[in-house]
Amino acid sequence: MFKYLSSGIIKENPVLRLMIGLCPVLAVSTSAINALGMSIAVAFVLVASNAVIAMLRKIVPDEIRIPIFIIIISTFVTISDYVMHAYYPALYVALGVFVPLIVVNCIILGRAEAFAYKNPVFSSILDGIGMSLGFALALVTIGVIRELLGAGSVFGIQLISSGIAATIMILPPGAFITIGILMALLNKMENKVQ
Amino acid sequence: MKNIKLGMVLMLFCIISAGLLAGVFIFTQPKIDANSGIAFESSLRDALPADKFEKIEINGEIFYKGFDKGTIGKQSVYQLVGYAVPVSSRGYSGAIQMVVGINLSGMIVNVVIVDQKETPGLGAKIIIKDFLSQFTGKKSSDKIGPKEDIDAITGATISTAAVCQGAKEALKKYLMLMEKNTNVQIPIIGDN
Repeated sequence: MFKYLSSGIIKENPVLRLMIGLCPVLAVSTSAINALGMSIAVAFVLVASNAVIAMLRKIVPDEIRIPIFIIIISTFVTISDYVMHAYYPALYVALGVFVPLIVVNCIILGRAEAFAYKNPVFSSILDGIGMSLGFALALVTIGVIRELLGAGSVFGIQLISSGIAATIMILPPGAFITIGILMALLNKMENKVQ
Repeated sequence: MKNIKLGMVLMLFCIISAGLLAGVFIFTQPKIDANSGIAFESSLRDALPADKFEKIEINGEIFYKGFDKGTIGKQSVYQLVGYAVPVSSRGYSGAIQMVVGINLSGMIVNVVIVDQKETPGLGAKIIIKDFLSQFTGKKSSDKIGPKEDIDAITGATISTAAVCQGAKEALKKYLMLMEKNTNVQIPIIGDN
C-alpha cells in the first residue's frame, strides 16, 4: 500500500523521471511562492479526480472514458480556479492562465488512465497524494533555485543582492537548465544506489 | 442503440458537473466581484490619494475625479483634488494597464501599474517604486521619454517606453478634459 504513496515522490517523480507536466513547470517556477501555489492547486485536482474516477470506474463505459475523465478533471480545475480567484486573488493573478491549463496537465489525465481507472479508491487517493508530492517537490525545488539565482530571493525574502543575480535563471532558458541539472543529479544518485 | 446509451451517460456526467459548478460559482462570485472592486479602488487611491472617487465619462474617455473630505464651518464638504486617469499602452508582451493620478496643477502624482505581462526579471520591473517615482511631478510640457528624463530599466527599453507613452497619454487626456470644462468648478457635495 505504501509503495503507491512513495513511488511518485522520487522513483516515478512526474517531472524529473516521467517528464510529464513540464509546461506548467517551466512557466510558474520563476519563484518559490508561485511554484507552491501551483503545486497545491494541482494536488487538489489530482487527488480529487483520482478519487472520483476510481469510484466511478465500474460504471464508466470504456469507449467514452477519456471525455468523462476530462469532464471530471475540468470540474475540479474550475472549482479550484473560482476558489483561488475568490480567496487568494494575488496568487490567482500570478498563476494566470496556468490554473485553467491544469485541465490539460498530462500528469492528471495520465494518472487517471494509468492508475485510477484500474485501482480501488483508497490506492488511487494514495497515488494522487504521492504524485502531487513528487510534483510539488520538483516544482518548489526548481522554483527556489531559479528565484535564488535569478532574483536573489527565496519566497520573496532577499538573500543576496538582486544586482548580482543572473536574470536568465527566471527566463525560460533558466528553467531548462535547472530541470536538466536536477534530472542528471537524480540519475546519478540512482546509479549509485544500484 | 449502444451509441445513444453512451451519449446519455456522457450527458449525465455533464449535467452533474454543470450543476456542481453553478453551485460553486454562486458561492464564490460575490467574493470575486468584491475583490476586483477593492483592487481597482486601491489602485486609484495609490495613483491619487483621495477620500472618494467619482467616475465621469467625457468623449468616451473615462476619468475618476478624486475628492478629499474636509469641513467648512459645520458642514462637511468634498473638495476636488485631482483626476485619476486609467490608460493602457502596448508593452513588450501585451497591454500594460495603468492608472495615472494628476493633480489640479496638471502634474502627475503617481503612476500605478494595474496589470502587465512583461518579462519577469526584466520588463516586469516597471512595477517597482524606484522606477515609477520618476514620473511624479511630470507635466505635459515635459518630454517623458527613456532617453530624456526617465531612466530606463536595463534590458527593458520597450517596457519603459510603454509606461512613458501611457503617462503622456494620460496627461493628454487631462488637457482634453480641461479644455472641455474651461472653468473647473470646485464642487461642494453635501455629506451623504
